Amino acid sequence: MTPGSRRYLHPEAIARIARLELRARAVVEGVLAGLHRSPYKGQSVEFLQHREYVRGDDLRRVDWKVWGRQDRLYVKEFEEETNLRVTLLVDGSASMNYGSGPLGKYEYAATLAASLAWLALSHGDAVGCCQFDDKVRASVPPRTKRSHLASVVEVLETPRNARPTSFLPALRSLAETLPRRGLVMVISDLLGDRDGVFQGMQLLRKRGHDLVLLHVMDDDELDFPFEGPTRFEGLELPDSIACNPRSLRAGYLAAVEEFLVDVRTRAAAARCDYSLIRTGEPVDAALVKFLSRRASMAV
Amino acid sequence: MPTFDFLPLLWWGLPLVAAPVVIHLINLLRHRKVPWAAMEFLLASQRKYRTRVLLKQLLLLLLRVAAILGIVLALAQPRWKTALGRMLGGARTAHVVLFDDSYSMGDLSADGRIGDTSCFDRGRLVVERICAELAAAPGQQELAIGRFSAFERTPQKQPISNPPAGEQRTENRIPEAQDAFDFRLQAVTPRLVQEVRDELGGWTASAMAAGPRAAVAAAAGVTGGGSGFMGGGSGAANVIWLVSDFRAKDWKADDETVALLRQLSDAGCELRLVDCGTEAGDGRQPGNLTVERLEMAGGVPATGVLVPLEVAIRNNSDRPVRDVAVELREDALGRPGVRIAEIPAGGVGTQRFDTRFTQSGAHLIEARIATDAVAADNARAMAIDVVDRVDVLLIDGDPTGGARAGDAFYVATALAPGAGAPTGLRPRIEPPRSLATLDLTSFACIWLLDVERLDTPEVAALEAFAKAGGGVVFFTGPRTKAEIVNQSLHRGGEGLFPVPLAGPIDLLPNAAAGAAAAPDVVVEEHPVVAVLSGQRNPLLDAVRIERSMAVERGFEPAAASGLRRLLSLRTGGPLVVERPYGEGMVVAVLSTAAPTWNNWARGNPSWVVVMLELESHLARSRRRAESLEVGDPITVRLEAAVDEIEVDVAVPPDGTLVHQTAVASPTGVLEATLPATSAAGGYTARWRRLDGTERERIFAVNVAANEGQLERIGRERLDRTLAGVAFKYDRAESLQPDTTTQAGVPLAKPLLHLLAAVLIIEQLMAFSASYHATFRGRSPA
Repeated sequence: MTPGSRRYLHPEAIARIARLELRARAVVEGVLAGLHRSPYKGQSVEFLQHREYVRGDDLRRVDWKVWGRQDRLYVKEFEEETNLRVTLLVDGSASMNYGSGPLGKYEYAATLAASLAWLALSHGDAVGCCQFDDKVRASVPPRTKRSHLASVVEVLETPRNARPTSFLPALRSLAETLPRRGLVMVISDLLGDRDGVFQGMQLLRKRGHDLVLLHVMDDDELDFPFEGPTRFEGLELPDSIACNPRSLRAGYLAAVEEFLVDVRTRAAAARCDYSLIRTGEPVDAALVKFLSRRASMAV
Repeated sequence: MPTFDFLPLLWWGLPLVAAPVVIHLINLLRHRKVPWAAMEFLLASQRKYRTRVLLKQLLLLLLRVAAILGIVLALAQPRWKTALGRMLGGARTAHVVLFDDSYSMGDLSADGRIGDTSCFDRGRLVVERICAELAAAPGQQELAIGRFSAFERTPQKQPISNPPAGEQRTENRIPEAQDAFDFRLQAVTPRLVQEVRDELGGWTASAMAAGPRAAVAAAAGVTGGGSGFMGGGSGAANVIWLVSDFRAKDWKADDETVALLRQLSDAGCELRLVDCGTEAGDGRQPGNLTVERLEMAGGVPATGVLVPLEVAIRNNSDRPVRDVAVELREDALGRPGVRIAEIPAGGVGTQRFDTRFTQSGAHLIEARIATDAVAADNARAMAIDVVDRVDVLLIDGDPTGGARAGDAFYVATALAPGAGAPTGLRPRIEPPRSLATLDLTSFACIWLLDVERLDTPEVAALEAFAKAGGGVVFFTGPRTKAEIVNQSLHRGGEGLFPVPLAGPIDLLPNAAAGAAAAPDVVVEEHPVVAVLSGQRNPLLDAVRIERSMAVERGFEPAAASGLRRLLSLRTGGPLVVERPYGEGMVVAVLSTAAPTWNNWARGNPSWVVVMLELESHLARSRRRAESLEVGDPITVRLEAAVDEIEVDVAVPPDGTLVHQTAVASPTGVLEATLPATSAAGGYTARWRRLDGTERERIFAVNVAANEGQLERIGRERLDRTLAGVAFKYDRAESLQPDTTTQAGVPLAKPLLHLLAAVLIIEQLMAFSASYHATFRGRSPA
């Protein structure tokens, strides 16, 4: 594990997820099997056992060598695995810099991404990663090697330029470059170019990708607990507002609620699996919750 | 326009009003900077609430400015001039200085000893300082100065409250109130200040016991209701300065003075109480002795007889005094004084002494004690009109008149035993009908001796005599008819005779004999028979009563009738009773004067003693010298067609002559009146008769004894007494005249209420504008 990966991979989170994964495997043979609907079948096989041929078995699975030696028909059975290609898109725009807790939004999102990458790699799935703002800043194509995690973390640690968000170019680029269908997980606060997000989502959807949208928001952004004279300076917008925050709180919360409803609606329309994650929530708890929900959907 | 008691505070405090604005501006600079991602929501909220938030913030700012302004104003003690006219009148302030010049202000005590500076001296300095400050004060200052004694003498009685609607205050009353002021209200100029200073130098404490009531009433009359010479749209704010020693006796919570002060305070006058009194260093009241009383203690004011006199000294301190020497003077000549061994704290010590006048006419007796804290009450005078002989009228019921063995003989003999024992009395024996013809006012006492019947005019004359203060003695006897007495003289208690009679009864002989026998006469507790009371008196034991007039069975005197026994029979029945009648006194002896029904008058000395005491007792009311206090007028009554109308009055202490011309009073009596006395002592009035002879009468005028009580009310009691009255209290030594203060309705209290309301609204508004911290909120770092 590289220093970078240590930064984003919290041992406790990994341990809990691993336990969850073991439990989930008993049901759906792998967390990631329940995580997505794999478009590939039988591409990755591992010999499991022989059994006698019965009528209806695929003749292609008859082990002719055994028939040659023993003159009996046996068929080979394989352990079936999905060979998933997971692409993680992490929003690295300026708005992700905000953070009220120990982890800022970006750190939280990167931790989340690294954890998911580790989880996927540990099951032999291919994981790719992309950090973007108004365009793709760093990316690495999906690979299945465990050592590929370092590359993913490297992408996550790529210095960011406090640029505004522009989803569409990044998603379009991704749609064009991803050769095979897979699972695309977008981790963002969705502040900024909201239309671009869902237009990009539509593009990916049309190319057959399974979409997951992890909406990361800070507790402050959801609760707006500020008091006393405060000047809010936009991270992406040039505006600033000097105000008594409590006098604007009601209006702010109403606007946030409207925003969340809009996002949920549009995610549902794009057949995108949407989850809102608060940065105040421990990463592991958020992952467990997310994976549990995915597992229950798969059942 | 409002005025401010502490104007400098206002000037210092006004800049603070800008504090909320400054704090607001500082807060703008001190805004915590938060880099914020979700600006679009914040901008949306701001667009939605911008106007409301701005209005709330502005209102909040205004409320905070108003709150600070309110605090500053309240501290500056604003006052609002009550009338619109005052608003238009500009900054004119009328100051009325009421200066206590009662004789207690002459108190020289300081730290338990006699000092050099009196309360009056301190008061003068206070008045001088007020004048000097007024001369230097901004705005138009007006000043009136009056002394308590002048207001006390002024006959004006200004109404306390405003006159009823439609009733105008009479024009001639206001000048009276103004006349009482030594300095009428006028603009303060350097010349006036000099005049006041010159005048103050000649002022001394008066000999009067003037309290603050009359002075405050005069001030209320001229300031209250807006129609006085200070009020009524003159545009002036009124400040009343009360410069006094604040003796406890003058200040009672339910007193009219307090009501007047409350009225003045409510009317917007500013009350400044300046205390010139002396604080006792050891916590004790300052000691002061007062000659409280000097009077005849019985006797007959006639030449050649001993006249008993009594002097009483009150100790107005909280510790007893011993061996008090009283110096006595008779007609300005010294005579042997007396000493009083001890006078308890707060008590009175008395001492009797006798004098014998050799010449008839007016005489003046004076008593004086050594100098103490207050000099004015250390002397007292008493005037006595001494005559050669005092006539006593004896109405003899014996139609033969003056029989040697008759009642009149025995009474006359007792009252005037002869040249060897002069009593000063001259009995005059007359028949009953003379009651209607004689001038009874020339007698002090009338004796009716077993009179069978009196006609209505005679009864009326006798009753008028008694009502006017004369003494009447009835002796009953064989000629007395009970039913006639009851009908014409007792009349169910309405008439003169003290008790209803049932008729004569015999007193059965005493069964016991010798020393064990109870005496027929029992002495009751009464000053007339005091000489016979106590142990058994052999003289009285010798008295035998054979018959007496019984009182109606079942007679119960009314509780308020004042009926009192002097002597009783051994059977329990009354023998001698008295009852007040009008100003006079009536005594009924229910037996004979002559030794007809008893043997008392036959050679028994106690008879003479009791008769003389009885005469003295009954005549006391008539002989009591007219009691005049400083400030009272002196009235000399003259006889028309006998006296000339010009009267000269020698006024103490230096005998300055004041000329008065007599005029007929509304009742037709010719009177020469000295309107008001200003000094204690003997006032000698002299006039001539038409026949050329000279007449003289002396009036003793004394200070009111109660002014000598020097107990001071003190600040705490004064606060309690004047509860609800807005006033400022200063000690004379520490007075800051602060003449820039202008009177008016004090606004501090309503302002504080308003301030509380503003602060409550501010808090509500701040809460509404979300400026209150919450437990879940996060304050700026």
